[in-house]
Amino acid sequence: MDFWRRFASNRGGVIGLVLLVIIVAVAATAPLLFPNNPWKMVSRPFLPPFENMKFILGTDTVGRDVAAGLAHGARVSLLVGLVSTVAALLIGIPMGALAGYFGGRVDDALMRITEFFQTVPSFALAIVIVAIFQPSVVSITLAIGIVSWPPVARLVRGEVMSLRKREYVEAAILQGLSAPSIILRQVLPNAISPIIVMASLMVASAILLESSLSFLGLGDPNLMSWGYMIGAARTVIRQAWWLSFFPGVAIVLTVLALNLIGESLNDALNPRLSRRRS
Amino acid sequence: MKILTRIVGRLVKAAVVLLAILVLNFLLIHAAPGDPAAVMAGEAGATDEMFLAQLREKFGLDQPLHVQLWKYISDVARLDLGYSYRQQMPVLDLILDRLPATLLLTGTAFAVSLVFGVLAGVLAASRVGKWSDTLISSVALLFYATPLFWAALMGVLLFSVTLGWLPPFGYETVGSGFTGWRRALDIAEHLVLPALSLGLFFTAVYSRMTRASMLEVSQMDFVKTARAKGLSPAVIERRHILRNALLPIVTLAGLQAGQLVGGAVLTETVFAWPGIGRLMFEALTQRDYNVLLGVFFVSAAMVILFNLITDLVYGIVDPRIRVQ
Amino acid sequence: MNRIIAAVVASFLACAPAIADPVAGGRANVVIQPEPPSLMLGLVQNAPTQQIAGNIYEGLLRYDAKLEAMPSLAKSWEVSDDGLTYTFHLEEGVKWHDGAAFSADDVVFTADVFLRQQHPRFRAILEHVASITAPDANTVVFTLKAPFGPFLNAFEVGSMPIVPKHIYEGTDFQNNPANNTPIGTGPFKFGEWQKGSFIKLVKNPDYWDEGKPYLDEIYWHVIPDAASRAVAYETGQVDILPAGSVETFDIPRLAALDNTCMTEAGWEFFAPQSWVWINTRQGPAANKEFRQAIMYALDREFIKDALFNGLGKISNGPFAASTKFNDTDIAPYPYDPAKAKELVKASGYNGEVLKLVPMPYGETWMRLGEVIKQNLEDVGIKVEIVSTDVAGWNQKLSDWDYDLSTTYLFQYGDPALGVSRTYVSTNIAKGSPWNNVEGYANPEVDALFAEGAGTIDPAKRQAVYSEVQKILVDDVPNAWLLDLGMPTIMRCSVKDLITTGIGLNDGFKNAYIEK
Repeated sequence: MDFWRRFASNRGGVIGLVLLVIIVAVAATAPLLFPNNPWKMVSRPFLPPFENMKFILGTDTVGRDVAAGLAHGARVSLLVGLVSTVAALLIGIPMGALAGYFGGRVDDALMRITEFFQTVPSFALAIVIVAIFQPSVVSITLAIGIVSWPPVARLVRGEVMSLRKREYVEAAILQGLSAPSIILRQVLPNAISPIIVMASLMVASAILLESSLSFLGLGDPNLMSWGYMIGAARTVIRQAWWLSFFPGVAIVLTVLALNLIGESLNDALNPRLSRRRS
Repeated sequence: MKILTRIVGRLVKAAVVLLAILVLNFLLIHAAPGDPAAVMAGEAGATDEMFLAQLREKFGLDQPLHVQLWKYISDVARLDLGYSYRQQMPVLDLILDRLPATLLLTGTAFAVSLVFGVLAGVLAASRVGKWSDTLISSVALLFYATPLFWAALMGVLLFSVTLGWLPPFGYETVGSGFTGWRRALDIAEHLVLPALSLGLFFTAVYSRMTRASMLEVSQMDFVKTARAKGLSPAVIERRHILRNALLPIVTLAGLQAGQLVGGAVLTETVFAWPGIGRLMFEALTQRDYNVLLGVFFVSAAMVILFNLITDLVYGIVDPRIRVQ
Repeated sequence: MNRIIAAVVASFLACAPAIADPVAGGRANVVIQPEPPSLMLGLVQNAPTQQIAGNIYEGLLRYDAKLEAMPSLAKSWEVSDDGLTYTFHLEEGVKWHDGAAFSADDVVFTADVFLRQQHPRFRAILEHVASITAPDANTVVFTLKAPFGPFLNAFEVGSMPIVPKHIYEGTDFQNNPANNTPIGTGPFKFGEWQKGSFIKLVKNPDYWDEGKPYLDEIYWHVIPDAASRAVAYETGQVDILPAGSVETFDIPRLAALDNTCMTEAGWEFFAPQSWVWINTRQGPAANKEFRQAIMYALDREFIKDALFNGLGKISNGPFAASTKFNDTDIAPYPYDPAKAKELVKASGYNGEVLKLVPMPYGETWMRLGEVIKQNLEDVGIKVEIVSTDVAGWNQKLSDWDYDLSTTYLFQYGDPALGVSRTYVSTNIAKGSPWNNVEGYANPEVDALFAEGAGTIDPAKRQAVYSEVQKILVDDVPNAWLLDLGMPTIMRCSVKDLITTGIGLNDGFKNAYIEK
């Protein structure tokens, strides 16, 4: 209750939440709202928006419904954003936790690996991975996960390092509890709030990254996505501004919503900080 | 002396990371379907076994993979990045040819975003809660959420196509014969849109970070002490708060200065900017292995170099570190 | 016949005949896409190289829009009655760009040594040649093993660029330093190449064809992004957009600009035809009825209008309309989804998913893949698009790792040069995306193509080729889409740029800019 009050006290967070709920609702009901496959050519090409109310946002280069594309595209963006963030967390949390808990050589070795991934230009690496394994929703999600885990690892490492020195952890060690159970039961639950905040922001950047890849033609060719729509519309930007405008707005709104939520979460979960801010 | 040992230590670690990057990328790119010979044969519109064999032999692709890898690593150790299959020139020349354009673009974007970002952040922090803070923070958040390529496209649409103020793409007016200042001006005109689109996102990042960092530092004890001592707010802000608030920003800037080199792929593609980001993307689709590896090598080296510089700058901003 | 007249009229309209005298001087700004790997035409024959280097090097012959031979380095020629001996009389007083004299020895060296080693397409033609000799400094004689119908069509600059013997003889051709500063006999000399930016050719003042060329210099601009190329034309940075340099969606807008002329002429020799590769070896596509169903399912009228702006012509079979011996009596398959559904059912198809690997040559071709998928799904065929880059696509086709794919190929004027290679069973081999990739083998078709190539008399060849077209159209080894329209867009003040069936590839010889 306290959490909700604090969250709701931030206007941005509420706006973000409302936006996200709408986007998720559209994504969830896309097959009902637009039962046709979004790839289906339903009308004449280049139908401008608001002319024919059946296709309110107009049609694209080959006569596909832009509104249907946006709705179905929301599913892809959210899915890729979520799954790739989970993938990044699944790599980053263990790496950071092990490095922070054991320190010494383990820390050294794991941090070298993290450094390695922070040294390679990440977007370039994502491009190479997707191009090599051929663009598909799996390779894209994997590539985003692979390039975005290092910050998670660093964050978790820092948290675990400081928690490791707390008395209750020392006590657990003295009790002879195994390292995995200490990490999972005692340490990580106490590090969860910064991880949640970071994750919500990571979903946002994953959506941006997915759209950038699709824009370059490295999207999944069987799934309609916002980045694909902009990439495909780039060459006709002068004849048909709406083809790149609406999906762009959709991306901005979604990323904005997630960022607003992330900030409010940060305020709500770290009250010490938030009081200082206001 | 200590600082020297530290630098040497860092360089050794850097060399290990670079080697790992080379090996991993080498294996990755060779795992891709198709090879440069097939691409070139495909482009020629006709091919036969003899043609492919000739090309593969010429490129050394007929050797076993580990032999190729060893040869590549030992070449790189001698600072020889190999030869581009497609462009028929040394990779190092190719990269050095393209690097200035990328450095100009990313350097400008970096400087612009750092200056504007920090300014906006300081402004917002000093008026926290007022409407100007809300405005700056909202705009920063909006920039932060805007895809780079989309901002670039909308910029071209508005400033080049509709208003006709700025050239839409390219590095300079080709064949204009401009020299000296006239040429610099010409390049500067071409630079505006790409540098702004690339800088937009980072401006947002720096302004948000500066604001948060300023607010955090302003609550710290030494600032309270300074206030108690009766120092003027302007002096406190400049000398105490800003200086300390800059630390996380320097770290981030160092990280990003390096990443910008590789991160310019999208901007360079949209604006036809002849830099190494585009070179990398072309090399990837053409399977021009040596060029791709070379670009990765150079940009990774840049990241390491910038991190090192960051470390040194850190010492200047925060004297405590120098003492340690 | 109508076709030919139309082509001639089109080329006339596009480059209004030189009523006024050509003006000397000026610079042409042209787009080149993509940046060529090299300008040494004897070693590299991809499209951008041909477009630029066709003005540096020359062939023995050129071809008009009806594909009849025209003089180039050879001022005249004779063919013996038995069709075995071809004698070329060379232009006299020709000099290489470095000042050395050109002679018949250069031609013999080029054909017999250089291209035999380096040029896969010419190597295939050399199979028919018994000997190449130079009886004197200005005469070259080719003697064939057996009559070869299309032989006279094999001497265009891209198929047989004449290279300088004095520079290449006895060297490692691939690594000869002269490859970076190509030396030919053509109207323009290599000037400068700023990688990633532009290639400049300058007028050859000692060109053998007195008074030509008219232009002082040509700049080919490298602009990697299609939208940017369109803007470059609009803002006046370039004046000539060769076919393929802008997305087809941009063409109507650009063509409607002031002082802008568009022509589809200049591609008669190459006659690019697009089709859907069908892997006939495996799965449901091994069945002829299923392949016919694909043909009926494709809405080619829509593809032509929506994706190619109405340019081009719906293919009536394996021979492009401007290729010799196309049988105009054959009607194209109509768009008939109902019939397609019936045929799919009759073929015993039970829901296998077909992998479609679209040719990754830009937005239009990606959209084409999406439309094909939609067309096929409308008649109940399940399709999954596999996207890949050019290297991956080449690899998949070369390894036959696909069910459906898209492509377009040049036909080089004669079925024996550009069509038979796709359908004869001797051309089934892994390792190339340009041979009989679909794996179609029919002894009857093999025999007919062999007969057509070995016949000289055009009427007899027509009969043979008509028969082969009927068989192929019924068998549907590939699903033909369009004989592509290749529009060149340029300022109307650019005159006489396209005067042959080879178009831009050797076009700047006669071109001038009206003041």
